[in-house]
Amino acid sequence: MTDLISLAPKLDTSSQAFFRFRNIPNTTKTLITNYEGFYALLSKEEFERFATGTIEPNTPLHQRLSENNFLRATYDSKRAADRLWSRRQMLAQGPNLHMLVVTLRCNESCVYCHASRATMDRVDTDMSKETAEKAIDLILQSPNPNLTIEFQGGEPLVAFDVVKHAIQYANEKNKKAGKQLEFTMVTNMSLMDEEKLKFLLENRVQLCTSIDGPEHLHDLQRKLPRAPGGDGVGRKDGAHATAVKWIKRINEEWQKMGLDPTLYRVEALLTTTRDALPLWKEIVDTYVDLGCRALFLRPVDPFGWAEKTERKVEYPREEYLQFYKNVVDYMIELNAKGVQVLERYAAIFLSKFFGRDPNFLDLRSPAGAGIGALAYNYDGRVFSSDEGRMLHEMGDSSFEIGHVATSTYKELVGHPTVRSEVLASNLDGQPDCVNCTYNPYCGTQTAHNHKKFGTVFGRTRESTLCSVHKGIQDYLFERLAAEDPKVLDIFQKWTTNRPRTHFLQPTTPA
Amino acid sequence: MHHSVTTNLSNGSAAFTVDPSLYPLDALYGAAYVFIDRCFVFLEKNAQGHVVVSLAPKKGPADQPTLEKWAGEFSNELLSCAWRHQIAANNKQALEQVTSLALAGAMGPPSLDDLSNFDFSSQPLEDPLGIAMSWEEKYKKKPKP
Repeated sequence: MTDLISLAPKLDTSSQAFFRFRNIPNTTKTLITNYEGFYALLSKEEFERFATGTIEPNTPLHQRLSENNFLRATYDSKRAADRLWSRRQMLAQGPNLHMLVVTLRCNESCVYCHASRATMDRVDTDMSKETAEKAIDLILQSPNPNLTIEFQGGEPLVAFDVVKHAIQYANEKNKKAGKQLEFTMVTNMSLMDEEKLKFLLENRVQLCTSIDGPEHLHDLQRKLPRAPGGDGVGRKDGAHATAVKWIKRINEEWQKMGLDPTLYRVEALLTTTRDALPLWKEIVDTYVDLGCRALFLRPVDPFGWAEKTERKVEYPREEYLQFYKNVVDYMIELNAKGVQVLERYAAIFLSKFFGRDPNFLDLRSPAGAGIGALAYNYDGRVFSSDEGRMLHEMGDSSFEIGHVATSTYKELVGHPTVRSEVLASNLDGQPDCVNCTYNPYCGTQTAHNHKKFGTVFGRTRESTLCSVHKGIQDYLFERLAAEDPKVLDIFQKWTTNRPRTHFLQPTTPA
Repeated sequence: MHHSVTTNLSNGSAAFTVDPSLYPLDALYGAAYVFIDRCFVFLEKNAQGHVVVSLAPKKGPADQPTLEKWAGEFSNELLSCAWRHQIAANNKQALEQVTSLALAGAMGPPSLDDLSNFDFSSQPLEDPLGIAMSWEEKYKKKPKP
């Protein structure tokens, strides 16, 4: 393997511009990246020539390194600034994502529930319409011209009157604010009915649900009462069958409205538990059969019930990474046969490698807590992130930054906690991250660090987030290093972002 | 354990001796503070000028594995704080710029209400050196006494 120490005496700083390097596992290639985020994969011989400053001009290697700003003689400051700004411009825009927890009540019982859901009789955990209005008044003060209001729970369909009121109120108020406004809802679908669906379709609400894989796994992890019970809702289908029924129905409705069926689909999320790991193929097949175009392989987080059920749902991250590789390898096989399905982590990281930062809040530096997103709890308390809100429900209010009734917008985003989180999640101040080859593409989460290590900084080398992020990027660069044209073409397609303009609310000036 | 951090697991607590020439005091405070919700933290100075850190359980006795876990985690946190202290010093300007950009971006431009509520009489806006004064005003001939 290439060892910089043996090359150190020969390093010619008049030749190389700033770079970080990493040997990519299972390959003979060395990855180099620079501060602004360009990368190059070099063979051992190429890397030695680069490191010893012996690259001849007018060679393909010289041209490749020059084009990516790795050589001092041809370093293009403007290109570096443009690339850096494409990663940092989101910092100048303010919070885009605003999560409204309209209730903690939920009729499903999930083994890994991160949200600390409440039982159906806990009506005291419903958001009042007045609280929703005050939250929306704050949201519309964000300087970001593009705002997304995400309805969460609990199960937001439980408090559907609040959702309806919030949408109507936000649209009314937005006549003056003039934002590009979108609504999304994260729902288990089980309380969907014709009337609610009609309202959601008419109001262009984007819908997202959870699918944990094949029916037996999903229903094992997400319990939905079948007989009429405390919630007064009886049904013959379990959680999976119910969600599938409505996914198909909603996709059909969007198609009837003339929307492109390859673009407008119900999004589904997977929470990866230990029981999911051996079922990688069945999980992909389930998503493909449902017509889903994307699968997000989120590892389980240490929030809510997942902490209590850790011994049942958790796993070593090496096992997760093997699962991840199995899934993405299989997806690549399917794509080569014409089936369009992608993995979200891969799409996010690949977009960053290729210079098109999608501004995913948990994979950016600094992270999006408080400056990219805010979470509004049912009782009006405001948090810098949804994870911070989850911690509050577990008894730790470290990330509470105000209240919709008493705080101004600027007091929220300028709160000392937000400032601390911005500083702590800047990878240029983090041990390990500061020298990591993946620094330009990666991110950390302050609430996760606080939960696991007792400090918003965390300790990167011991962090499960770091091992997941590094492992996924190692795998993706391993696939890129193989230079298989089919895989490169598939990866390019995965990073193509087609905007879904239907979900933008119509703007009518006041 | 590294020789600069010695650990004593007897007496039901984990005790460390930290050489302050290897670890900045700020890093030691940072690492110690991370543990105050888990245990009582005592800092003392011994005759050699080294800092003795004791981690004692808040309730009842702590078993050996718990003390060893605290000792290991403390050492890792101390190293992490020491290195972060150095990185923060090295990258201070870049970190400050990005933080300022992020907070200013999140707040947006000042509104007219912000400006009308701004206290222009505060100390930094006073002009003891007369920088904001016109040339004529600043250097005009003073009347003879």
